[in-house]
Amino acid sequence: MTAALELAGVSSGYGAHLVIRDVSLSIAEGTLAALIGPNGHGKTTLLRTISGLVPARTGSILLHGQPIGRLRPDEIVAAGIIHVPQGDLLFPDMTVLENLRMGAYLHDAARVEQQRLEEVFALLPKLKERRNQVASTLSGGERRMAGIGRGLMAGGKVLMLDEPSLGLAPIVIDQIYGVIETLRTSGRTIVIVEENATRIAEMADALHLLDNGSFAWSGTGAQLMSSPEILSAYLGG
Amino acid sequence: MDVLVQILSSGLTLGAMYAISTIGLALVYGSLNMLNMSHGALLALGGYVCLYAMTSLGLPAVAGVAVAMVACGIAGLLIYYLAARPMLASRNFETQIFIATIGIGAVLENIILRTFGPQPVAQPLNLTGAVVVGGVHIPHQNILILAVSVLMMIVVALLLNRTRTGRAIRATAQNRDAAQLMGIRIGRVYAQVLAISGALAAVSGVMISSLSGLLPNMGGDPMLKAFVICVVAGLGNVYGAAGVAIALGLLEAIIQYVFGVQYSFAILLLIVIAVLIWRPAGLFGRAQVVRL
Repeated sequence: MTAALELAGVSSGYGAHLVIRDVSLSIAEGTLAALIGPNGHGKTTLLRTISGLVPARTGSILLHGQPIGRLRPDEIVAAGIIHVPQGDLLFPDMTVLENLRMGAYLHDAARVEQQRLEEVFALLPKLKERRNQVASTLSGGERRMAGIGRGLMAGGKVLMLDEPSLGLAPIVIDQIYGVIETLRTSGRTIVIVEENATRIAEMADALHLLDNGSFAWSGTGAQLMSSPEILSAYLGG
Repeated sequence: MDVLVQILSSGLTLGAMYAISTIGLALVYGSLNMLNMSHGALLALGGYVCLYAMTSLGLPAVAGVAVAMVACGIAGLLIYYLAARPMLASRNFETQIFIATIGIGAVLENIILRTFGPQPVAQPLNLTGAVVVGGVHIPHQNILILAVSVLMMIVVALLLNRTRTGRAIRATAQNRDAAQLMGIRIGRVYAQVLAISGALAAVSGVMISSLSGLLPNMGGDPMLKAFVICVVAGLGNVYGAAGVAIALGLLEAIIQYVFGVQYSFAILLLIVIAVLIWRPAGLFGRAQVVRL
């Protein structure tokens, strides 16, 4: 079986500075993989490289066996990678509904826009309530939901979420994780970047620890919890 | 009463004229963070192409304007592909493109100078006659300018709000990274924006030259005013720019009436300085977002 997402020897960065060095990673279809590790060690850059916002300098990226490493970001979206970026990056002057509709910008998604919209509203009912509100006036939790909802509007095969719990109150984090759990049972392949390793360890099928631009450790949540040396060295546990 | 009509008539005409050249600048800055310093030369190019189409090719006025719009749209595309696109990845894009477009403007102006000569020429698209309201003569030309400007603003608003292209332009202006993650090909958006801006510059150039005549460097003053309007509105804010343009046009008409023509630009600049001290990001601008 081919992996949903497969990276081999990928390096990337900004200017002369390499942030990701020779990274290889395989994520099986329908699983939830978590990228963990301390801040500033390349987790966000890795997602931005996969979605093409930062060009890969070396290596190959395969989506269900198809090479996507040399494509433009719009072609990568069309191929089926959905990236919900850190900090949501909503369109601030558009309403929630307009933001969601932007998610279905590509022709394939636009054809099923109405149906997707109903699915997103069913999953995130708060967005239906707020649909005519301008995005810049939303609360942090609502913004996060709008960001995730906008990503879901595109459909896609692999959903990448960059720090979905960042900056939210504990009760809102629980809601967001509830949504992710629901998405997971729908059979999607999900990649989550998460600072809080113990939180995601319960949920993820596989965890990958990124340290200084390379993977330092990979394993399951149970393995992580029984590895005190990893927890104390990287995750302050 | 007559004074009021007079001020309204000339102020709205000025404001409408400023508005369409400013909208083009605001669109380009909003999407690419690019200050297009060749905009003035594009205004002149539009005016001269219309003159050429109407006199040498014998086309009717509407066709003359259309040819000018196409020519300046193509010029905008060339500016994107030959100058802006190669520099986009650079860290200093804003400075580089600023300087590059100054150069492009100078080249364009000199081409116009070589082709049409340095002497002022009248724009053939010029209505004669006037409507009399009370004791005030309102030239048909002013009414035409106002009508065309309003039409252009409506067209731009419909384009931005009702079309797929417009949604892509707005998304790109509001968040470039997010736009790409929605599947928008932003390189194409940039090209479209520069073409639209060029076409608007052509219309603006034809209207300006119908009042003040054609000169190769005729675009300098209107471009400066368009920048002033953009800065006051908040760089990149299209609707704000249109509103501020009309307001400043009216204000200019009032200043001209009360203090005389020679003071209008100086007072305008004083107002700009005051606005920027009060609101550094412009009236409707938000603080600059840090790009990663």
